Amino acid sequence: MGYYISGILTICLIYVISNVGLSVFTGFTGLFSLGHAAFFAVGAYTAAILTYFYNVNFYLALLAGGLMSGLVALVIGYPTLRAKLRSDYFAIATLGFGEAIRVLLENLSITQGARGLPGIANYATLPVVAAITVITVWIAVNFTHSRQGREAIAVREDFVAAEMMGINIFAVRLRSLIFSAVCGGIAGGLFAHYISFIQPSMFTSYLSTQMTASVVAGGMGSITGTVLATIIFIAIPEILRVASIWRLVAYGLLLVLIMTFRPQGLFGYRELSLGRSWKYLRENTLMRAKGRK
Amino acid sequence: MNPPATFFSGFELKSLLGGEPLFIQTLITGLSIGGIYALMAVGYSLVFSILNFSNFAYGSIIMLGAYIAYFSFVKLGMPMGVALVLSILGSAALCLLNERLAYSPLRKRKASALYFMISAMGTSIFLENLVYATIGARFYAFPQEFTGTNFEFMGTSIGMLDLFAIIFAFVAIYGLHYFLQNSRTGIAIRAASYDIQVCELNGVNNTRLIGLVFVLAGGLAGISGMFLGMRYMVYPTMGWITSKAYIAAVIGGLGSLPGAVVGGVILGVLETFVSAYVSSVVRDVFSFSLLVVLLMFMPTGLFGKYLEEKV
Amino acid sequence: MKVLELNGVTKKFGGITACKDISLSINQGQIMGLIGPNGAGKTTAFNLITGVYDVTEGTIHYEGKPITGKRPDQIVYGGISRTFQNIRLFRNLSVLDNVCIAVDRHETYPLAPALFRLPSVIRKEKAIREHAMEYLAVVGLEEKASLRADSLPYGLQRKLEIARALALKPKLLLLDEPAAGMNPEESLELSKLIRQLHEKFSLTTLLIEHHMDVIMTLCDRIFVMNFGEKLAEGTAEEIQTNPEVLKAYLGEGYKRAGN
Repeated sequence: MGYYISGILTICLIYVISNVGLSVFTGFTGLFSLGHAAFFAVGAYTAAILTYFYNVNFYLALLAGGLMSGLVALVIGYPTLRAKLRSDYFAIATLGFGEAIRVLLENLSITQGARGLPGIANYATLPVVAAITVITVWIAVNFTHSRQGREAIAVREDFVAAEMMGINIFAVRLRSLIFSAVCGGIAGGLFAHYISFIQPSMFTSYLSTQMTASVVAGGMGSITGTVLATIIFIAIPEILRVASIWRLVAYGLLLVLIMTFRPQGLFGYRELSLGRSWKYLRENTLMRAKGRK
Repeated sequence: MNPPATFFSGFELKSLLGGEPLFIQTLITGLSIGGIYALMAVGYSLVFSILNFSNFAYGSIIMLGAYIAYFSFVKLGMPMGVALVLSILGSAALCLLNERLAYSPLRKRKASALYFMISAMGTSIFLENLVYATIGARFYAFPQEFTGTNFEFMGTSIGMLDLFAIIFAFVAIYGLHYFLQNSRTGIAIRAASYDIQVCELNGVNNTRLIGLVFVLAGGLAGISGMFLGMRYMVYPTMGWITSKAYIAAVIGGLGSLPGAVVGGVILGVLETFVSAYVSSVVRDVFSFSLLVVLLMFMPTGLFGKYLEEKV
Repeated sequence: MKVLELNGVTKKFGGITACKDISLSINQGQIMGLIGPNGAGKTTAFNLITGVYDVTEGTIHYEGKPITGKRPDQIVYGGISRTFQNIRLFRNLSVLDNVCIAVDRHETYPLAPALFRLPSVIRKEKAIREHAMEYLAVVGLEEKASLRADSLPYGLQRKLEIARALALKPKLLLLDEPAAGMNPEESLELSKLIRQLHEKFSLTTLLIEHHMDVIMTLCDRIFVMNFGEKLAEGTAEEIQTNPEVLKAYLGEGYKRAGN
């Protein structure tokens, strides 16, 4: 496999991990995060600092990055996700949160400020990233099919009724946020050890936007939709070598268009399954065959 | 590779005593920043109170307002008053266009607030990056002789810009208040903030009413855009400053207009004092922490009205 | 034994008093009807009992213990469940999943094994589905299990809400206008179903309803509200002859229909 292709694939898969995490949060609880890149950054820096300065084992560092992100999510989620508090409060808080994390990263000495950390060991090879992606997606799908996943969907659908089912809304929202933050943190750690150089300016709203756009375009509450949308959103502009600024223009427009014309996204509320696709194809070709007669 | 000896840098406290910086001067600057935050927060809250969603596209409308003001004032050499009027009209038109293209289809479908929020976010990303891709990332500054003028008042040096910002912010807010309290349309807008469906049943044309609300919000965006541009320069991502307006609105209580004004002023003054007496680096971290602490202990804000979603 | 007891419960929304000094108690095994004109505060009373709203004044006791100030999910765990006047199903989920969410309260498993879908989780999930099917069978919806909840006709959606409420294994069931929008035959059939479920699951039931035939055939006691206040309380016969009630609510029309 060419170096170029394997590079695109690795980056794609890293974003699949973080976007699937965000999908579990936004798609399954209906809350909207405007600063999710911060979790990615926390994971990237934690893991990178551990391997760079302290020679910690890569996998342990990756795990630590994920856990650190989860911890940060707990701190930010606790005051903003309390039951019945409108989702706007959370969105606004994440907006400030993303900015605050970036300011912190720029001013801590351990992160070497705006200069960033160069020369991080290149541990995140394609097979490693691919294996972790498969595990993450598998776990995310398991989560959505568990009673905990059902609870999250219930909260998204109708939180009053969910409460009447004995569901603690706060716990469900916080759990999903932590799950998505851990995914984001792990993806961040992989990113740092693939690109081997990180600096605070890499984790701006560009990244948050890309993540949100993938989840929305893939379809709220659809893991497979998110995976597919991520691959399309990362790979196609990369292969076509579209300047990143025009990608963002397109993402913005796309979000508005999706909300206007197809709010359910590519696969809103459902998963892509081989069985259903086969059935769909067969019915459509049959219909067409009948039409010809 | 060895880790650095200290974890933090750049957080040293500025001297809390001594003549510099002057208290009165800091207060005036704080009030002028607070006034602009209040303007933005009112524009945001106005839309929120009617349509019940966070209009995250508002920041980019303000940014466009700043560009209009800059280009008409500096490049086309128009007088400041004309530039301000153009900025107000331009932003109002853009805000209305934003509603008609991005929100009105969702409104007709009775979509949930989440979809409005995503659409607003999309609009903001689109506009910001469109400006970036076409006009460029350059920072444009208003001429110094205009923004840098000071005059002495009771032994304190006060910036012309600060004074103008305070005056314009409060005149605009008072004007809006007067309009909402006394005109028929204003009363209809206030009624709609309680229940827009009932308002329509009583013969109010909601499409026009909502259009007007966006025009008003856009007008405020024009004023705040111009003053923000003068203070911080004009550039594509300047709209992120509006996150302060959202924070101000939460401090005052989401959806409450008096709350937005009070929240804006409080945030502006506190922030200015933090950056004058502590460090300008911690300023943004401070605003965010203030928001989090407030949400913990006082989730409704000062004049909160929309804490809980309707059952 | 008193299952539910409200003592001087008042709820104010700003300047409006939606419930004023309501005192009410329900004994084990009773079916009590809560009636009154629109806007009388009946649904508000339900929202207060289930903790959706906080009580302004007064106390609510369930099985002798105070539940005032508790969160709805905590109250549900105590054994109270309800349906909603404006149906609140999880619309994008299947009929079966709607009930599964309720069964989940009693058939739990921790998160960690769920993330790895261990065999224990798969077994438990199977059990949850089977239990959910049993509740669907009780209201006759087992054949619709795989349909999306919002694709059901209105009357069946109401039944699904009842099945979902039952799956929480409540001791006290609050039904908010279960027969709304039904014709006389349908509401008669529903009355029979409610009676049947009441006995089968040995429930105590509090019922808001505008269909007087449903109220009069089902309820042991009737509590009448008007403008947020208690107007009268008594058996069906007492209420039907109470002049206050007749004036405020039933009107002459009911008498004529009854004759």
